[in-house]
Amino acid sequence: MIEVVNVTKRFGGLVAVNKMNIVVEKSEILGLIGPNGAGKTTLFNCIAGYFKVDDGLIKLDKKNITNLSSEEICKNGIARTFQAAKPFGDLTVRENIMVGAFNHTRKTKHAIEEAESCMEITGISHLANDTSKDLTLCDKKKMEICRALATKPKYILFDEVMAGLNPTEVQEIIILLRKLNSSGIGLVIIEHIMSAIMSISHRIIVMQDGALLAEGDPSYIASHPSVIEAYLGKGKEYA
Amino acid sequence: MKISSNNNNSLFKYNNILSHSNVFEFVFIIGLIALPMLISNSYYRDWFVMAFIMAGASCAWNIIGGYAGMLSIGHAAFFGIGAYTSTLLYVRVGISPWLGLIAGALLSTIAAIVIGRATLRLKGTFFVLVTIAFCEVLRFTAIGWRSLTFGSMGITLVFKKNFFNMMWQGKTAYVLLTFGYLVFVYVFNKIIEKKKFGYYLVAIREDQDAACACGIPAAKIKTIGLMISAFLTSIGGSIYAQYVMYIEPDVVFDIMISVQLILIGILGGKGKAFGPIMGAIIIIPLSSFLRGSLANLSGLHGFVYGVALVLVIIFIPEGVYGRLYRFFNKNKKNIKNHVEGVM
Amino acid sequence: MVSQIAQLIVSGVLAGGLYGIISVGLTLIFGVLNLVNFAHGEFLMISMYISFWMSEIFNLNPYMSLPIVVAAMFVFGIIIQSIFIRPVTEASHEVQIVITLGLSTIMQNSALMAFSGNLRVLRTPFSESMIEIAGIFINTQRLLTFTLAILATIILYLYLTKSYFGKAIRATAQDSRAAKLAGINVPFVYMITYGIGIALVGLAGASIIPLFPVYPTIGWHFANIAFVAVVLGGLGSIPGAMVGGIIIGLIESIAGFYFGSEFQQAAYFIVFIIILIIRPTGLFRK
Repeated sequence: MIEVVNVTKRFGGLVAVNKMNIVVEKSEILGLIGPNGAGKTTLFNCIAGYFKVDDGLIKLDKKNITNLSSEEICKNGIARTFQAAKPFGDLTVRENIMVGAFNHTRKTKHAIEEAESCMEITGISHLANDTSKDLTLCDKKKMEICRALATKPKYILFDEVMAGLNPTEVQEIIILLRKLNSSGIGLVIIEHIMSAIMSISHRIIVMQDGALLAEGDPSYIASHPSVIEAYLGKGKEYA
Repeated sequence: MKISSNNNNSLFKYNNILSHSNVFEFVFIIGLIALPMLISNSYYRDWFVMAFIMAGASCAWNIIGGYAGMLSIGHAAFFGIGAYTSTLLYVRVGISPWLGLIAGALLSTIAAIVIGRATLRLKGTFFVLVTIAFCEVLRFTAIGWRSLTFGSMGITLVFKKNFFNMMWQGKTAYVLLTFGYLVFVYVFNKIIEKKKFGYYLVAIREDQDAACACGIPAAKIKTIGLMISAFLTSIGGSIYAQYVMYIEPDVVFDIMISVQLILIGILGGKGKAFGPIMGAIIIIPLSSFLRGSLANLSGLHGFVYGVALVLVIIFIPEGVYGRLYRFFNKNKKNIKNHVEGVM
Repeated sequence: MVSQIAQLIVSGVLAGGLYGIISVGLTLIFGVLNLVNFAHGEFLMISMYISFWMSEIFNLNPYMSLPIVVAAMFVFGIIIQSIFIRPVTEASHEVQIVITLGLSTIMQNSALMAFSGNLRVLRTPFSESMIEIAGIFINTQRLLTFTLAILATIILYLYLTKSYFGKAIRATAQDSRAAKLAGINVPFVYMITYGIGIALVGLAGASIIPLFPVYPTIGWHFANIAFVAVVLGGLGSIPGAMVGGIIIGLIESIAGFYFGSEFQQAAYFIVFIIILIIRPTGLFRK
């Protein structure tokens, strides 16, 4: 379980995350939505070790992981993907996944095996020898998800993983995410594509101006008046 | 889900020692040692010795310059530390250069730790600047600290033929020694290329943020890479000193050495173990040739060097061997691994 | 005794001002374009040659031709930036650095081919003149150079803080993407900033030709000092670069006298290492 306790993050005078308290249960899919600038990505980056928090605590299975570096966060079992896909361009897809696999093994042979099985699960085995910088956006994203999977995480944070994808591709990602979750990995997903997030999340948290606006299951959130107001029209389409 | 597991095929293809590029490299290297052994012309053998030293040092540079993408332009610092340490220990204390080169390498490693600690949390360009400044400061120190280093006059080694003194009659032994050095660094690179450490270096180069997100301790890996690179470069400097038998600050700590190492690496192909070897084979003879034939107009050879640098980085950024390598392995892609990836 | 120290300090500071102005140009280019300008020393060398030839051919006193040299270097800097650097702004740092490295080699050797390696010395009527203040001897040339250096730095600083374009430059230095979004023409800023950096070097070159001989590789000597000064003073910090330069000048002067030139260099080294260990970002922030 990830516990975010009273976390605050400021950038100069701007309070991006304001005393946020959330809990991510083991193996759940938690959706994180909110208008632009609500602080979602900042919160992510705080959990992922990319930013240091100014106040508050973050715990993973009772262990204090506040302000650990991003590599230590990964070692503790929280992986993440990036909004703009970040492949290791000159490496092949297989090699990219291997880098993830090296997180828990030292032998290249094991890393290759791990990479092969992760690629099978993710459905990108046919791309194994391709140079990753030449992939399509959707394939890059799938590869990044696969790479995160290879680190053997307990949780994966997805920062707008579906951004820039067409509806078919979005569906593919949704299926993939469900598959990951079925093996016990908890997912925290920031997304703007309402239909996707509503259909996949067990629970949804809404942020606005750095603070918690609402929390509950998808149907509750969809009909929550403040949420609809915060989105001003978006909610109506998908509720 | 329909998958045809190509595990065995991939593993084989992956560690394929007999790939086209590996065969090429192997043959080329055999040729590299065969030639100087067959040619008895002392002048040409000298080329080979110098080429081997520079290629070896450039392979060492390649570890952080090519794989990790940290463009050190101060590697002459390590070269010079190696040259001076082994020479001073020999000349003043009588210690065999074989041991002296280890001492030099250790000192270089310490220097690498200092540089690493200072620069690795900051932007890449800062690293470049610090490496330049560091080498410069060392050069000044070597000039100024006369009681230690004999200053600008440099140190001349007295020839006393002896294995322990790393001095031999004629060039053969030096050819073998420097070739051994080159092969050692080259093989070292080949090995780590396929190991976790090698992959980590490349991942850091490609995208440091993503690398950290995969659990890679970037600062630590970069520092270790720099330490190894420094260690190996330093050995090259020690061997150089023993061969040329004369060192001075303005030569061994010269920015031109750093530049040569980079040029060899970039022209040949940084990020590939064989790259610097290809680069050295092209540049050292070319450089001698230019210096010889264009001697009338001094400066022309350097001018061509500079132009070559600019052209190569613009048009063949991956280097000559980088291109060749792609050509060799072009057919490997997508052959057997097209699988129905149905979920 | 006291006047001994005072003399050393003054000499050191004066020399340091020269190093400082060269370093300011370097740090400016680094801070804004995020580029290690390898060819920095070569521009110094070229400006010295221009000044020299203007004197030889047109009989122009170097201080008369100084404004011309500065203007010429500004233009020259812009031209070089447009041809060699601008096309690769989006490329990786490696490419940019290697290009300036290549540029440096090309320029040095072009000078070698054109002017040969002979030292060219320019003597002015007051090359040797000294004035005496409170028992301290000051070379007028150096004093003039120093004054110009400080003035130029102050003017630059004011320009950057007060003028509109100066603020645009600073904005670009802080975050080039944000600056672009704010409507600043970033490529133009890069071009002009490079020109300014080179113009400063031109100022240095024109003012030191009465003091130093010019030869193709003289650029390196000063550029190397500039690199160290920039690291000492803090990357991208203009006051830092000047202070860094002055510190080096002082070390040269004081350590040189008290500990002999041997330790002068070692002192240089030790200070550098200490800074690297304790405060790698240098004395000042951007």
